[in-house]
Amino acid sequence: MKKAFSVSLQWLRGLVLAAVLPMALGASAQDTLRVLAWPGYADADLVKVFEERTGSKVEVTFIDSDESMWQKLNKHQAEDFDVFAVNTAELQRYINAGLVVPVATQAIPNLAHQLPRFRNLKKIPGLVHDNKVYAIPYTYSEMGLIYDRQQIKIAPTSIRALWDPRYRGKVLLYNGGTHNFSLAAQILGDPTPFHIDKEEWPAAVEQLIDLRRNAMAFYGQPDESVELFKSRHAALMFANYGSQQLQLLKTAGVDVGYAIVKEGALAWMDCWAMTRGAKNTALAQAWINYFLESEPGKALMGRQGLANTTSESPSLRPQDQLKWLEPVEDVDRREQLWGRIVAGDRASKVLAP
Amino acid sequence: MKFGIAAKLSLLLAGVSILASGLTGFYAYQASRNMLIQSAKAELLTATDTVARDIARTRQEASRNLLVLSSHPAALAVLQNASKASEDQLATLFTRVMIANPGYFQIRLISANDSGLERVRVDREEDRTIRISGDDLQEKGHFAYVSGALQLPAGATYLSRIVINHERGAHAGLEQPSAILATPVMDTHGQAWGVVVINMDLNGVFTSLTAALPKEYQLFLANGSGDYLIHPDSSKAFGFDKGRRVLVQDEFSATRALIDGTVTKVLTEVTEGLYSEAPVVTAFVSVKVKIMGEEDRLILGLSQPLSSVLVQANALGTVVLQLVMALGLACIVLAVLLARAVTRPINSMSAAVQQFAYAQQVATLDIHRQDEIGVLARSFNHMQDQIKQQLGALQTSHLKLEHLARHDVLTGLPNRRFFQEELDHTLARAQRNGERFALLFIDVDCFKSINDGWGHEGGDTVLKVVALRLRAATRKVDTVARMGGDEFVVLLDNPTHRDDIVTIAEKLLHSIRSPIEYRGHTLQVSFSIGISQYPEDGSSVAELMARADDAMYQIKAAGRNGFRFSNEIGRRTTPQQS
Repeated sequence: MKKAFSVSLQWLRGLVLAAVLPMALGASAQDTLRVLAWPGYADADLVKVFEERTGSKVEVTFIDSDESMWQKLNKHQAEDFDVFAVNTAELQRYINAGLVVPVATQAIPNLAHQLPRFRNLKKIPGLVHDNKVYAIPYTYSEMGLIYDRQQIKIAPTSIRALWDPRYRGKVLLYNGGTHNFSLAAQILGDPTPFHIDKEEWPAAVEQLIDLRRNAMAFYGQPDESVELFKSRHAALMFANYGSQQLQLLKTAGVDVGYAIVKEGALAWMDCWAMTRGAKNTALAQAWINYFLESEPGKALMGRQGLANTTSESPSLRPQDQLKWLEPVEDVDRREQLWGRIVAGDRASKVLAP
Repeated sequence: MKFGIAAKLSLLLAGVSILASGLTGFYAYQASRNMLIQSAKAELLTATDTVARDIARTRQEASRNLLVLSSHPAALAVLQNASKASEDQLATLFTRVMIANPGYFQIRLISANDSGLERVRVDREEDRTIRISGDDLQEKGHFAYVSGALQLPAGATYLSRIVINHERGAHAGLEQPSAILATPVMDTHGQAWGVVVINMDLNGVFTSLTAALPKEYQLFLANGSGDYLIHPDSSKAFGFDKGRRVLVQDEFSATRALIDGTVTKVLTEVTEGLYSEAPVVTAFVSVKVKIMGEEDRLILGLSQPLSSVLVQANALGTVVLQLVMALGLACIVLAVLLARAVTRPINSMSAAVQQFAYAQQVATLDIHRQDEIGVLARSFNHMQDQIKQQLGALQTSHLKLEHLARHDVLTGLPNRRFFQEELDHTLARAQRNGERFALLFIDVDCFKSINDGWGHEGGDTVLKVVALRLRAATRKVDTVARMGGDEFVVLLDNPTHRDDIVTIAEKLLHSIRSPIEYRGHTLQVSFSIGISQYPEDGSSVAELMARADDAMYQIKAAGRNGFRFSNEIGRRTTPQQS
């Protein structure tokens, strides 16, 4: 009797859900969407709109490095999060580890609003494997150099400016091993900065130790970089978040310039991907779809200075040389060595086994 | 009725007094509860201020230690001359300070040159201190506590941002919440050669600071932006380090004013959100950090469960309740007594009225009271006396009338009606008890001739004398009555034998036949007596009377002056047949 009752209840619930699904985008009241994203990607007001629209609760966790994202997702086989924003290069790690699942593009009608070059997903390296789409492009930026126009009158043209002893103690750098080793490879003249050869490591480490000696501080999140830049009068900053930091600094009233270096600025494209642990696929799809709408797109551009995929970026010029991020030869080694470098170890210790 | 007024009055009085004592109790409880909460808040605030002072003292102590270490000649010697002996000396000193201060993770001397290379470093590793040397020494020039402290004047302390220490190789301090304090090492010219740095174990410091606090107190510490640094639920501390900020102003909305800087203290009762199940009393203070660095202020708070505050209030509540109940009981008793005191005179008055109404007995009332009851009693007494008198008079005349109605005026003997009643009673009694009686009808022979000869007065005199003689000749238990005219009747109660009746009849005849004196003349009167007997001559009054009457006329017919039994004339009948 009891069983029959619960069965009929489930049947009833199914019926109600089926009726509500198309309207509420598949979210029932107690559904929680766990989002892992970069600062500025999911502002509280936008999240609130999504929550009200779907009747769900959203928990956003912000990360400040690819490495911390990897650790958070890898920790429990991606069971702790449903949807996350990852760059195309990093995405490959997750696909290889089986931590992400393909995204059903037909469930995301707003894809139709994207610019043609983003709609052709196969043309963007790393998004499609075995004809399955693993991520939806959301935003992108080059990592240029931001400089204080009061202290640096002529815009830097080379990445070498970061090592310039004139700016000793006035350079703000990003606390991330993968990109920093790519920078080191670039300054060593390596045309493939995402693949450091075995014999190249000691030189790259030396470069990064030199870079550290020139540094004022290492930042994680965009806000932190702005705070440090402003309060401690930095002269030059490697902008991991690119135009987002430029925008935030300008908003903070700092007279800054932005330079794309001749070696080719590293550039990233962040995409929304769904984890294998996603509890409510429909809600995760609704999230991705929502952030392709015009309001979140405008917020991304207006507040963060970041490009969206539905309109052309105003900050990028056609002549700018970009090096889109690619998977690196050994993330773990880069991060391990970087951890030692940023702690202050000298070369012998850094390169120790 | 008697129960009514007393009960109603008791109920009313008891109700009013219970209500009064209940309300008083309730308000007393409420007031003391509020006072307890207020005093708990005040205590919390005091405790919070104390912890804040202790933090400041701990920091000052660290500053003093920094000052002592940085002004030690060995420090400058190491930085200027790379003196090995001075390094050892300083390391020993660092170790001693570390041992004396278990809350310190690290003490370091860092050079302003060589990219901030550590020159002397002592770390804590588990419960011992270790000296770090050689290649293990790191370059720290890119950390704010080095570059920041180098900018400071001599003797000043720099406080870094309180964070989780991710500096690889920091031993016990690695991945631990740390506050880093640093002070410059200067030569006599005011040139900074390096810094001395102390890494403090935030949790360790607070554990010792709060050891003296009551157990139910919970400690909160947040930075100037509201990010928790210490929280009873450790997962909420350093949220920013994990990518999800957890802010004090989100959990305790009242602290928003602290974060905005509009107030420096917040006392509040929190009953919503996380605390809807178990409300707490909290005190938060904003503590200005008086030294240079990356933290300008800290938000410090203590909370106490409301339930522990109210334990005392509840105990008080119990006492108040007991008092109210005891008072209520006393009030009920008092109300009953009071109601009875008021209604007793009324009741005794109504009892008196009842007693008087039913039994005409005069009850004694308290007529000496000076109140309304006294007046009423006196009026009633007066009325009672009057009624009593009038009733007495009425009774007397009633008795007279009664006598007249039942007695013959001339002879004073019971009349026919009275006799009829007596006879009915006697018959009923005789039937019930199997007794006997006899009826003697007595008629004056030739009474008409007496009246004619001597006038009615003479006749009346004869009747009076006969009545007197009949009365004298009979027993008390026998009834003598005048039936009218010259007819008398005697009811003999329970004669045992016919011979007795004969004796009495003869005695009667003898007595009444005696000559009667009237105005100097002697009158000779004879009588005829007819006798019937129960049960021999009938079982009804009418039958018995008729038989006696018959017998009397028989004797008159036979020549008068004698008596005759009814059954002597041959008409014998049994009583049942009649």
